[in-house]
Amino acid sequence: MNENEKRKYIKGRKLGEGTYANVYLGQLRTDPAVLVAIKKMKVQREQDGIAYDAVRELKFLQELHHPNIVELLSVFNSKDQNLNLVLEYLPLGDLESLIRDTDRVRYGAADIKAWMGMLTRAVWFCHDNFVLHRDIKPNNLLIAADGEVKLADFGLARSFADPGVNMTHMVITRWYRPPELLFGCRSYSGAVDVWSVGLVFAELIIRTPFLPGNSEVDQINRICQAIGTPTEDNWPGVSSLRSYAVPAEVYPVPDKKAWMDRFGGVGAEGVDLLCKTLVLDPNKRITAREMLEHRWWRTDPKPTRKEDLPRSKDDGAKKMGADLGRRPGAVEDENRGSKVARRLDFGAK
Amino acid sequence: MAAEDARYRQSSQYRLWSFSPVELATLREKSNALAKASISERMLSSNASRPASGANTPDGDATPTLPEFLTPTEEALLVTFYTSEVLRAGNHAGYRDAIKATAAVFFRRFYVTNSIMTYPPNDMVLVTLFLANKAEANFVNIGEFANKFGKKNAESILAGEFLLCQALRFAFDVKHPFRALKGAVMALRRIGGIDDKRINAAEHRAHEILCFSPLMTDAYFHYTPSQIMLAALSLADRGLVEQLIADTFHHVSPPGTSGPGTPMETGDAPPPPRRDTKSEDKATIIGAWIRDKVLGTIEACRDMLSKELPEERREHWASQDVFAAELKPLRKKLNKCRDPDRSNLLELHRRRREQARIKAETEDDDAEDRGAALADDGAVFGDAGPRDTKRRKVGKGLEDPFGGPL
Repeated sequence: MNENEKRKYIKGRKLGEGTYANVYLGQLRTDPAVLVAIKKMKVQREQDGIAYDAVRELKFLQELHHPNIVELLSVFNSKDQNLNLVLEYLPLGDLESLIRDTDRVRYGAADIKAWMGMLTRAVWFCHDNFVLHRDIKPNNLLIAADGEVKLADFGLARSFADPGVNMTHMVITRWYRPPELLFGCRSYSGAVDVWSVGLVFAELIIRTPFLPGNSEVDQINRICQAIGTPTEDNWPGVSSLRSYAVPAEVYPVPDKKAWMDRFGGVGAEGVDLLCKTLVLDPNKRITAREMLEHRWWRTDPKPTRKEDLPRSKDDGAKKMGADLGRRPGAVEDENRGSKVARRLDFGAK
Repeated sequence: MAAEDARYRQSSQYRLWSFSPVELATLREKSNALAKASISERMLSSNASRPASGANTPDGDATPTLPEFLTPTEEALLVTFYTSEVLRAGNHAGYRDAIKATAAVFFRRFYVTNSIMTYPPNDMVLVTLFLANKAEANFVNIGEFANKFGKKNAESILAGEFLLCQALRFAFDVKHPFRALKGAVMALRRIGGIDDKRINAAEHRAHEILCFSPLMTDAYFHYTPSQIMLAALSLADRGLVEQLIADTFHHVSPPGTSGPGTPMETGDAPPPPRRDTKSEDKATIIGAWIRDKVLGTIEACRDMLSKELPEERREHWASQDVFAAELKPLRKKLNKCRDPDRSNLLELHRRRREQARIKAETEDDDAEDRGAALADDGAVFGDAGPRDTKRRKVGKGLEDPFGGPL
């Protein structure tokens, strides 16, 4: 069975090399026109066997089949017992490269609406299947040949916990991490992903990370200044969270006008949706499903057709290689903390 | 509802691990036959080569006779016995229900396509439990894990892990009926008019059944989580399931057909034919047909679960008499017919890695990882290095022979 799967594909050139995996271009043996990406996990550390990241990624990619979620086509192991994940080939890079290339890539509200629509559907589908992604960020949003956005990297995902079962709060790359996780909350919901979606939305509009904190404390400060200080008034119960600590100066939640000044490019309805994703209290934050029902999608301009969306000027395949080869944004055990810190400094000067 | 069904059909549980009873039996027979053939071949070839190296064999058994092999039925009995060991080990370690259940399902799936004569069930008990922890998002350290079961030898667990992943076809998501039970309880409370004590008692009993009966039988291969849940609830309190079913199909009828005194309350009689409009007649007929199909499936699943009620754990599987009469002879038989090449997972793992290393001489990017592993192994195993291959296999004793932690 394994040999059959392996023989189905021809492994080609290396697209990227990361701490976590090497990514190769591949093609179907029976039809070489069909391209795939082969993600070869690096040799596992002997001590705990197969890496948790790999188990998680496989567990969810095996189950989630949706146009906006990267498709797992096959799995096989090479002789040295390395896992090889065969994924659909996504040659047009990721949202991060589009956002950052301000010189060469121009896009507008209709394009943002199209990308956000695809992202929101992906997140809704995860949540509807009781899966938390826990690492949503622009470089985990890859783009297929036809312009479709695909949510990738399920290395930090997990199923919704049953009531009473704790989860780790050390997930989601810091800039996209919601306040409840920064305050050490161990029991949370899909609202954590919605916050990340909101920050991707903001970043698409202003074309730079909205809250690029350089430490957890700095991240909380930035949230307080930009979105308001979480207090018992706007978030009942927040002060009893384990690591609740906010700057002495209490910042008010900014009014609509302040949001419009900065994010008005997507119109009043777009700003309304953005504000609802960035509500401090996770219980009051909009859900992915409610996002899909929001009026913004139905107001002008209509979302751009995916074929007509702006494309990256960079080598998208290389970008895919780099994105898939990276270790997921944050990890739960502390001895890997140093690696994570380094990893999170990407893009910073 | 249709969407939910469609979604279930996309799950690996349905795509890869659902079979009809005939399909499942065929797969097991095939695995049994394949194992017999390859073990025979290995035994004969090692027997044939022996006389060349020396005349006497210690047991004086140099004739190339083959042992008696386990039949598929005997294998099935042993698999079920070892499934009870998986659950026992999970209890011993105090793991959550979902982890124990996932481990048991992994174990049974593994032995659909592998024979118990090929890979040692003793070892696989712990391997499945270890991987189930990972699959259910419970972080465990391999050293601590091995310690819990009085095993010095964590490596044999890791050695089997990859094998298990492959046999599971790298699908680690198991859909359990536990949440469905919580949903059913909420639905029962919503119906109203049912004594809360009765609901609680039924939930408790059904949960107890779900933690044992479906795992010890082939229920997960044949039925969906909701069917298994309803079967368990029906064993706990048949009337409640009838009410749930009646309530569900009551809603299928278009509004207006069911006035206040619907005859559903007793739950056992289908609604009497109504002399209403044609479309309503049709709705009732369709509803009744699906309802009967659902009831039939639940009944069949209930029959299956009733063969392994939770009491069996104590009265049957943990009974010394049963063990001596039914299982011991089979284990003796197993010891004689097990695969000489694969019964030691550690040795097998080492050999495969060695082969891979020779083959992949060019790629050496794992050098630093190995150093780290070595240091850690030293700590766990005292003086023994990771390459020490003659570590003896510890029996299945789940109690720690060395007492508690220092």
